[in-house]
Parts: sequence; structure tokens; C-alpha cells
Amino acid sequence: MKKQNVRTLSLILCMFSYLLVGAAVFDTLESESENSRRRVLEQKRNEMKKKYRFSEDDYREIERVVLQAEPHRAGRQWKFAGSFYFAITVITTIGYGHAAPGTDAGKVFCMFYAVLGIPLTLVMFQSLGERMNTFVRYLLHKMKQCLGCRCTEVSMENMVLVGFLSCIGTLCVGAAAFSHFEGWSFFHAYYYCFITLTTIGFGDFVALQKKEDLQEKTPYVAFSFMYILVGLTVIGAFLNLVVLRFLTMNTEDERRDAQERASLKRDRGEQSRGSHRERNRSNAVHSRSHSTLLLPMEEGTSRTNLIASPAEDQLRQRIEMGKRWLKKKYI
Amino acid sequence: MKRQNVRTLALIICTFTYLIVGAAIFDALESRKETTQRRELHLRKAELLKTFNLSTEDFDELENVVLELKPHKAGMQWKFAGSFYFAITVITTIGYGHAAPSTDGGKVFCMLYAVLGIPLTLVMFQSVGERINTFVRYLLHRLKKCLGMRRTEVSMVNMVIIGFISCMSTLCLGALAFSHFEGWSFFHAYYYCFITLTTIGFGDYVALQNEHALQNKPEYVVFSFIYILTGLAVIGAFLNLAVLRFMTMNAEDEKRDAEQRALLAHNGQAGGHIHCSVDQASSSSTPSVCGGGTAVEGSGGGSGSRGLRNVYSEVLHFQSMCSCLWYKSREKLQYSIPMIIPRDLSTSDTYMEQGEAFSNTLHSNGCVCSMQRHSGISSVSTGLHSINTYRRLKKRRSSI
Repeated sequence: MKKQNVRTLSLILCMFSYLLVGAAVFDTLESESENSRRRVLEQKRNEMKKKYRFSEDDYREIERVVLQAEPHRAGRQWKFAGSFYFAITVITTIGYGHAAPGTDAGKVFCMFYAVLGIPLTLVMFQSLGERMNTFVRYLLHKMKQCLGCRCTEVSMENMVLVGFLSCIGTLCVGAAAFSHFEGWSFFHAYYYCFITLTTIGFGDFVALQKKEDLQEKTPYVAFSFMYILVGLTVIGAFLNLVVLRFLTMNTEDERRDAQERASLKRDRGEQSRGSHRERNRSNAVHSRSHSTLLLPMEEGTSRTNLIASPAEDQLRQRIEMGKRWLKKKYI
Repeated sequence: MKRQNVRTLALIICTFTYLIVGAAIFDALESRKETTQRRELHLRKAELLKTFNLSTEDFDELENVVLELKPHKAGMQWKFAGSFYFAITVITTIGYGHAAPSTDGGKVFCMLYAVLGIPLTLVMFQSVGERINTFVRYLLHRLKKCLGMRRTEVSMVNMVIIGFISCMSTLCLGALAFSHFEGWSFFHAYYYCFITLTTIGFGDYVALQNEHALQNKPEYVVFSFIYILTGLAVIGAFLNLAVLRFMTMNAEDEKRDAEQRALLAHNGQAGGHIHCSVDQASSSSTPSVCGGGTAVEGSGGGSGSRGLRNVYSEVLHFQSMCSCLWYKSREKLQYSIPMIIPRDLSTSDTYMEQGEAFSNTLHSNGCVCSMQRHSGISSVSTGLHSINTYRRLKKRRSSI
């Protein structure tokens, strides 16, 4: 089967197994705690109902009022500061849900806003992330030169290490800040930063929700917004470094296959003779096929083909020769 | 300033402007309703306090109990079905929040789970999306052939239209299903599908939360999971078609700049003399062509290298004459490339393909655009700038 298809199928299988394993582990970790907490809460509720002599309907009414009032507990959510916060959660796809449009017009506008805003934001973060990576690469290069290292080239491992450290650093800075301002433990603040910067955004912890923070503590509000956007850039830079090349693997392979098909067509037209010699050579080439299915090469193309016809092998050989010649000449 | 920097700055400014405009509009749309609802609830709460003779502390306690019971209202959230649902919301980054790990162990595992799961899911959806696009392209091609159309090539516009229509129908299908099973209005169900499939995931509407559906309605549960994953694949296919190329723009420009620098550095060291292949028509562009000539000359004999040199010189010759953007079908180009030129170096190949095409057309037709378009700055990089823009444009179209 074609390489792209095998790759896609194995990724699907991987993901399903990952989901199953995750579900099992979450079940084990959380189910019991959920049960006990539920029992405690229901007991408390029954006690209160008896104490205040609520009927079932009374309780439903109180419940309704409380649930509807929940977003209002945190202050005005839709003034400019709150709306800006909401707009950030929309276009970055964080989507806490601490405030969600209540009017139908708001819902409609939210959808249109997202359609344009999400691709814009994706492209912006990748663009900025790439610039950051280039700058970091330059700095590392200069540093290596200054330190008098033998090999002053910045390798991929260097970049990945620096990227990883900056992600952890960003999370820790945020955790320290938010644990101070929001009164959360360091661990909960770290969890909040992680869930925010991966754009999961559960909404179980949300910044700027203490009474009237959005309206009153303007420097803290500005800091939160900047932190979210800068943090997303740092994560975006790391993704740009490590993950983006994998997103274009199938497309690159398709492009290469199309080019080979076109050249083969031409080749067949030009040279109908002389295929005997090439066929012998191609058998030797055929043996090196299966290697990197899931790993893209540095240039973004992968060089192997699971089903290699003799003509394609001959073509590939000539391409390799030409490439080697060019490299010697120009690089 | 370098093009990548300009592009990045422009994008940053765009995004900030977009945020500010959005905030203003949301403010205008939602603030009034918020104020009225807030006032109403306040009044209602005061009434309740009076009716049941509650103190504020009593009510606060009651409030806490109600809020903490909220996730439990919808049933067991952490049995296997609920955990699977939660795992989906984590690795797809939807993150409703209808259930969130309450134990510290759960939080830690959630973070580790996400670190591995999110890139895996991103790559998986893009992979599946690309396969879907290829299949659709193939079907469309066959359809065009069957209908006996003149041009059976599938253009980008065709693909985008089809992608858009499939996104809309996925959303509508989901809206129908969820409005039926959850009892929402069609509009609210559509809003739910949209917010889910864009992975925003507010959590104001969440499926499988009514009547303990997670435990009692396994077919509906399976349908929901499959719908979310398939819908994300369809959206992923559309993103793969329309947006992914923009995310690699800066990296490709950097790669090309690095190659040009390497080329220039190498040829600057090697040959000394300047070889100007100046045409009569390009009298105004002599400096840049000569500058380009330096980059081209300087590698020794061999028919292969001379062929290459000719290609380079013709490319630079052309671009110094005319900075117009000219699209030519990629298939035609491939037939005119000598075999020795490798195509795997994705940037340099289109570079040379254009060279061949342009040289052919120049010799037959001359340039179609006016000479005045040529920029006065005589540096190779500026001359190459126009061809880079062209190449980017052509690459997008040729990657169909």
C-alpha cells in the first residue's frame, strides 16, 4: 500500500489506542473520588432540604437561580475588558466557557468571528514562533562562537532542548504569578497555565474571575492577556520546531510521487532503449526501501517508497546522482 | 526589512486589531443582556431569601452545594464512557470542562497525557485530512472526465468550494442529530457543533449530559464520539487545504534565503570575472544582471554545469527584465527540465523550472509586461525577491 495510506492508518490506530488507554487510566484515577464526593454532597443537600423545609420544586427553583447566577459571581463579563478576554479565548480556541454569549446574535457573531480569527491566529503564532526560533538559533550560534566551541553549528537537539526549557520556564513564571494573584496553590496555578497554553481550556480554573478584577485591576488584566499571548507564542515556536514538519509529510510525499510519475511518463517516451542495464541496477536499489515511514527528512521529503518499480528506482538513482553533484558544486 | 519580519509584524498587528474590534462588538451585543439578567437574578435571590427565611451565609452554603453538585447532575462522569469522552476533549484540545480532574493525580496525568496526545492528534488529523483531500481530488477529476469537460484538472477553487460545503454539511448533520437527541433548538445545536469542531469548546452546551446518557444510551454515545472525531477530520482536511501552507511560509523563505546565501558565498569565492548575458531589451537592468551573472558564473566546465549555468543566467536575466507574475502549468514545465536537475530540493527545483519556462517564452514571444516594472535597485536579492513572490504563488497553485 502507498506509504501515505499506511502512515495515516497507523496514526488512526495509535490515536484510538491512546484514547482507550487514557480513558482507562482516568477512570481508575477519578471514579472513586467522584463517587465519594457525590455521596457527601447529596447527603449535605438532603440535610439542607430538611433543615429549610424545601419541597422538590423549591429546590429546583433555587438550583436554577444559583446556576444562572454563576457567571455573574465573577463580575461583569461583557464590558470591554471581559469581552477582550472572551475574544482571546475564542480565536486562540482556548474556550474556557466562564462567559459564553447569551444572546443569539452574540452566538452568531461568535461563529463568524471564529471562522476568520482562528486561521489568522494559527498563522500568526506560527509566523512569530518561526521568527523566535531563528533568533534563538542566531543567539546560540553566537554564544557557541564566543565560548570557543569546536562545532559552532546549532543542531536540532540544541534547539529542542532550548525550546523545551523555555516552555517549562514560561509555565513556571505563569504559575508563580497566578498563584500569587489568584490565591491558588503553585500546582493548581501550573495546571491552569498548562491547560490554558495548550488551548484545552477546561474552565475549572480561570484567571481574572475574582470579584471585579476585570474592571479594577487593570495592570493585572494586561499582564494576564500578555501572558496568555506570549505563552502561546512560546508553545507555538516549540510546535513549529518539532511538530509542523510532520503535518506536511503526506502532502510532500504526494508531491514527490506526482513529480516522479510525470518524469516517468517523459522518460518512457524518451528512452525506450537501454532499460536492461538499468533494471539490473535497480534490483540492488530495491533493497533499501522501508526505513522512515513516520519521520520526515530535513528537507521535508521522505526518500523511500514501499512499492518501487524498476523505472522509479532508476529515476531515483539519477536524481540522487544529480543531487550529489549539485551539492558538491554549490554547497 | 526582511520579508519574514514584515509578514510577522503585519500578522501581529492584524491579530491585535481583530481582538480589539471583536471585544468592542461583543461588548455591544452582550453587555445589556448581562446587566438585565444580573438585576433579575439579584431580585429573584432576594425573594428566595425572604420566602425561605434564609440568611446570606445559609444561601452561600446552599450555593456552594448546588455548584459542586453541578457536574454530578449529568451522571457519572468518570466511568469508562465518561473518561473516554474526557480523554477526547483533552487530546483534541476541545476542553469543555464539564468534567475536570479533581484529584491531583488526575491533574498530573492529564498534563502528561496532553503533552503526548495533542501532537499525535494534530498529526493524525492532518494526515487523514490530506488523504481525504487527495481522494476528493481524484473523485472530482473522474467526475470532470465523465461529464466530458474540456479541462479535467481540479483547481484550487474547486477544492475549496467542496471543502467548504462539506464543512457546512457536517455542521448541519450534527445540528440535526443533537437537536433531536438533546432537545436543543437547531440553532443551538449548530452552535454546539461549531464550537466543538473548532475545538473552542466553551462547555455551555455539552452533549451526553442529559438523562445519564453516558451510561444508558450507548449507541448515542458512540455516535457522538464518532461524530466529533469525523467532524474534526473534515475540518482538519479543510485547514490542510487552505491554511497549512501559510503556516510554513516563513520557514520556506528562510530556507530559500539560506540557499541563496550559500550559492552566493560559494560563487563569490570561485570565479572572478563577470559574465553578463545582457539582452538589447534589458539595457536598464544591466547592473542587476551582472550581479546575477556573478552568482551564476564561477563553476568550471562540464556540460552539465554549463547547462545549469545557462538555466541560472536565464532565470536572472528574465527576472531582471520583468518582475511580472506569470503562471504556467506545472506539467508543461516538467517536460522542459533536463534530467540532471534534482527535484527533491523543493525550492531550487521550482526556481529552475521557472528559468526554463521563461527562457522558452522569452525567445518566442518576448516579455509580456512593461520594462518599467523593473525595480531600480540593482541587487540580486531584490531581483530574486520578485521571483520568490512568484514562486510562492506558483507553489501554492502547483501543490494542488
